[in-house]
Amino acid sequence: MKGKYHICVQNSRIRYEFDIKRNITIIRGDSASGKTTLFSMIESYNRLGEDSGIEIVSKKECITVNNATWDLILDKHNDSIVFVDEDSPVIKSQEFAEKIKNSGNYYVIITREDLPNLPYSVDEIYGIHKSGKYADTKRIYNEFYNIYSVS
Amino acid sequence: MLHIRFGDMEKVNYGPSWFKFNYDPKWLEDSFVQKMIEDVDKTKYMGGLVFDSPVLGPIPPEKLSGGVQTLIMIYEKPDLIFDATSCGDNCAKWLLEIGKMKDVTVNLKYIMQFPDDLNIYVDNKGVVVRSFTDYLYCAVDYV
Repeated sequence: MKGKYHICVQNSRIRYEFDIKRNITIIRGDSASGKTTLFSMIESYNRLGEDSGIEIVSKKECITVNNATWDLILDKHNDSIVFVDEDSPVIKSQEFAEKIKNSGNYYVIITREDLPNLPYSVDEIYGIHKSGKYADTKRIYNEFYNIYSVS
Repeated sequence: MLHIRFGDMEKVNYGPSWFKFNYDPKWLEDSFVQKMIEDVDKTKYMGGLVFDSPVLGPIPPEKLSGGVQTLIMIYEKPDLIFDATSCGDNCAKWLLEIGKMKDVTVNLKYIMQFPDDLNIYVDNKGVVVRSFTDYLYCAVDYV
């Protein structure tokens, strides 16, 4: 995969809207900012599709992996956006790094830990915060912000 | 006192999982627990097993943030060691508050931004640090 992908994940209460630009994106930040909720919504959509009550708009398939299933799932996908939550210690392993290196997927990894095995840019480390763009709507709009932006 | 062990560690517990499968409903009635939840999650305890989240609406305890679930486990089970990496910077002051009440040990794999007025025993070094600068000098050697 190459290029930038715009992703929208939403239900009736909450909407996430963000761009993924590189093959590895890191999400970190305060507790209760919605990181795990985003992951759970994508996970539910993977299991139930539109019956989940969740809508995902993305040119590429968004999937989730966990510590138990990651290698089986990644063997079957080479053109997807893969989300991994912080409860998957495998993200620190050399095995996982090798798999990513030889994969066409983009990866969005939720973690506060540094991952020295993975070649990610400091520009692609994001937090999640509420957007000010849609302040009058009932739905909460969340967007990514660059944690270490110098501009 | 709050004890921190930086870096990878054997037999450390994952707070959100422990909380989801082991929490005692009585814990939720504790005013200190409620203050942590209100501050970190901006979520109010409504009674029983119900919280009112400004984002998610009425939620059960299992839907509280992983950070606050871990704080509750550290507070309620001080004999166990939990991975405080599940806690964001907005949990730092509460870790210090718990440390004022109980002896607790947590594992940390990132440099949490504590306020400058702190009192932490760094297990890796065997020293007590009382400023953020001293804390930082210890942490950078391990995370």
